[in-house]
Amino acid sequence: MTQVFHDIERKIITSLRNNPKQITKTLESSTELSSDQVRRGIEWLKLKGLAVVDESKTSTISLGKNGLESFQKGLPERRLLDLLNNGPRKLSDLQKELGFVFGPAMGLARKNNWVDVTADQITLKNIPSVLPGEKTLRTIGGNKLSINEIDKNELSLLLKRPDFIVEEIIKTKEITLTESAKSIVLSDSSGAIDVEAKVPEIFVARTHPLKDTLDEIREIFVTLGFSEIIGNMTQSSFWNFDALFTPQDHPARELQDTFYLDGISAKKIATPEQIRKVSESHKKNWRYSWDINEARKMALRTHTTCVTIKHLAEKKPDEARIFSLGRVFRNEKVSYKHLVEFNQIEGVVVGKDANLRNLMGIQREFYKRIGITKIKFWPTFFPYTEPSLQTMVYNERLGKWIELFGMGIFRPEVTKPLGITKPVLAWGGGIERIAMLKYGLDDVREFYNNNLSWLRSVTKCQ
Amino acid sequence: MPVVELSYSRLQKLIGKVSKKQISDSLPFLGLDIESENKDLVRVEYSPNRPDYSTDFGIALGLQGLLGIKTGAIKLNIKKSKNYSISVTPDVSKIRPFVTGIVAKHGKIDDKIIKQFMTMQEDLHFGIGRKRKKSSIGIHDLDKISFPLLYTATNKSHEFTPLHSEKTLSISEIITNTDLGKEYGSILGNSTKVPIILDSNKQTVSFPPIINASVTTVTTKTKNLFVEVTGINKNDAEDMLSVVATILQKAGFVLEIVHIFGAKNSTPKLEQNEISVTPELINQTLGLNLKTSKIISSLKKSRLDASSKGKQIICTIPAYRFDIFGPMDLVEETALGYGIQNLEPTLSPSQTLGQTNPISSELKSLSQIMVGVGYLEALNSSLTSKRVLYEMTNRETENILSVLDSKSQEHTILRDSIFPGLLENLSKNIHESYPQKMFETGTVFTLDDPVSEKINFSGISAHQDANFTEIKSVLQSVLKTGFDIQIDTKTTTHPSFEDGRCATVMINGNFIGIIGEIDSKIIENYKIRVPVVGFEISLSDSILESF
Repeated sequence: MTQVFHDIERKIITSLRNNPKQITKTLESSTELSSDQVRRGIEWLKLKGLAVVDESKTSTISLGKNGLESFQKGLPERRLLDLLNNGPRKLSDLQKELGFVFGPAMGLARKNNWVDVTADQITLKNIPSVLPGEKTLRTIGGNKLSINEIDKNELSLLLKRPDFIVEEIIKTKEITLTESAKSIVLSDSSGAIDVEAKVPEIFVARTHPLKDTLDEIREIFVTLGFSEIIGNMTQSSFWNFDALFTPQDHPARELQDTFYLDGISAKKIATPEQIRKVSESHKKNWRYSWDINEARKMALRTHTTCVTIKHLAEKKPDEARIFSLGRVFRNEKVSYKHLVEFNQIEGVVVGKDANLRNLMGIQREFYKRIGITKIKFWPTFFPYTEPSLQTMVYNERLGKWIELFGMGIFRPEVTKPLGITKPVLAWGGGIERIAMLKYGLDDVREFYNNNLSWLRSVTKCQ
Repeated sequence: MPVVELSYSRLQKLIGKVSKKQISDSLPFLGLDIESENKDLVRVEYSPNRPDYSTDFGIALGLQGLLGIKTGAIKLNIKKSKNYSISVTPDVSKIRPFVTGIVAKHGKIDDKIIKQFMTMQEDLHFGIGRKRKKSSIGIHDLDKISFPLLYTATNKSHEFTPLHSEKTLSISEIITNTDLGKEYGSILGNSTKVPIILDSNKQTVSFPPIINASVTTVTTKTKNLFVEVTGINKNDAEDMLSVVATILQKAGFVLEIVHIFGAKNSTPKLEQNEISVTPELINQTLGLNLKTSKIISSLKKSRLDASSKGKQIICTIPAYRFDIFGPMDLVEETALGYGIQNLEPTLSPSQTLGQTNPISSELKSLSQIMVGVGYLEALNSSLTSKRVLYEMTNRETENILSVLDSKSQEHTILRDSIFPGLLENLSKNIHESYPQKMFETGTVFTLDDPVSEKINFSGISAHQDANFTEIKSVLQSVLKTGFDIQIDTKTTTHPSFEDGRCATVMINGNFIGIIGEIDSKIIENYKIRVPVVGFEISLSDSILESF
């Protein structure tokens, strides 16, 4: 295998092949590189596993001020003994001649039994030809020596004397090549680059993750035979509520749940016949005085059902599968699980096979296609469907059952006034909740934050 | 959805032979979602159309049916007597015309039962009572009242000691100074007179729909109850009474009739109702093939009575099940009694061919093309704020479309433009690496008759070398690739763009949008440190298929 090396690396490898163990200083001179280049080159080779750096500590020894004096004049005790060579001397004379080294010299001489002291007379007794420390003192002399070259016992004696020995600690880096580096081919084919090196990150453009989920869901329903219809987000209360048998004093219609447009009412909301029949159905079943001005109030749609019911009221099909996918609005406090604006899908089936088990079958098939197989159905209540069910799906990550789509069969009180004669199966629910499961999000707001660090990191194909 | 707290051990006593697990497994199939569980306590959400589920007595009745322990309709046994009556004077007819009531005797009341009654009362007031406007309820200690009663109108100077008060207050004081008075006083409108229930000693029993008198307060020592319901509609008042009567009977009370006389009022009958349904409708709607006998037993499990008569099934509906309007409701009752878990989903082949809406297809293609030129797709709310839409971008504020009473400051105005949102996005990403290029397609709103909704398309690019040429190249190439459309740009000025670096975007001489370098002051306001260029065009009129 041919690896491509930087010039610096190549020079260091070549030098180490000639001289296998080098410290940085020698590498600098042998490669003629600056200390910084050598440092970087060694770092690269180390990362590639081609060089090993042994860091070691050594001490050097040299003589201090008193050590040098003793080297030149002899150790204080040697000087004392020399003075006694020609016979006993008076203590006071010796004191004068030797000055302040007399004390330590006498101490050693008496301790080692080299002298006899009587009254004020000092007499020489046995003396070794070489005193302890003298040899080492001579070895060191004026040099700097490695600690390994010196007798350890003698050194420890000398170290006890003030200012005799100076010890310096030196760190060295020894660089050697690894086995694999020794056999490597230093190709110098021009134009080759380091293909194994790290490269800068670039961020690919992509469609929004939530859009991907919307597209995926749209495609599933199209393949199940459904056609997509699009409708306005601003709707009269008539289509958002009245046509769906939600009485005008129903709590869901209040300001705190629904967004109404300030000061805006629709002049034309539906055909006179539709208005008459819908209002009659309300008066008869809910027993209150229905007010057309309430129905004119423009709201931000609270569900996409208003789009499908309007379509059915207009076309009155005998057989149809249609769906609507888009934004809906709720006047809620924004939190990690609630948005004021989110996407909803709403689908209907009209036809002779329209029955509750088929409605459940469509749901099961849809969930299967988005990878959810553990589902169950529970009864629930919606003002405009009867019977009404909701799907519960099991999420492994959260370890619990989650409510997803609601469904039911449009009540006769909804269909009859609008001239829809065939049974209508309807189902729908929020998309963000499905997308949260898909992307493993716990905060629904992330979809609308347009936070680049998230958008650039989330996996597209999942 | 309203929530009620239940105790498994209490439910077990009320239902009879049943395990805790059987109860918790069955609750969802009664339409009750378990919200949380803690040892013996369980909180369930119930549907607003079933006020009888606001107490454990009502839920016990439902579970008994579903589990097959006791099935069939609950019959109210109301003792006939002449002991109790209310006379109504004509002067209430313009304020709150109807009153009805019932007496319930020989019950045992403890703290838990009082708590259940209070939740029931709250739920009835909020739900079918429409915050007491349509109808409201008062529950009293029967033994503190001397019959007959009078339902009449009185002046606001009328005084009595209301519930939770130690001293006598006038009606005016109650309306202006007490919490309940402030909350519900407006129901009575501007009338100078208010409704009042007085007993034969002229002692005040209740000031509906605001508050009861203190003297009739129900305590754990109370044995016998008097329940009154007042309202603006006779049927609604009787519906409410039927729920309370059913619950009190289940709670062990013996019911006794209260006669009502005068001014369009009458004694409540709380009668059962009959609705017929065909087995064909049930089987067709559910996708089943059930025998009539199975349908009848399923209906009975839903606590209704049913019998077959020719080709019809005649169903008897107790008064408290006023959520049942017609045959379709009986289809659901059959399904519930049969058990939703027993319905096997089926997939019938589609008779129709599916199709994506052409607008969706075109927008999807446009997104793909934008990704091709290196733009990331953003999504912003259509409901945004004045700050983002106008203040930060210096845009003019004519004909703002705002919503009423938004709970969120950041969501008060419908957007008429997309790029302000994208600029806001850039400002939140100044610590991320550049270049930053984003686009969005979405609906914009303008005041029309009543509102016009159009689809706009906007893109922005922010980096050290961003300039007009770059953004015009992008828009020009994207529209050419996507729609084979040629654009022209003509010099213009715009408050959000730098003078001399701003142009209108035209197709065949028609204005479709704006393009240019964003005004450096705006970029500064947003603390963005690189130049930003962008465009916004309308797709609806000249580019997309008719919307």
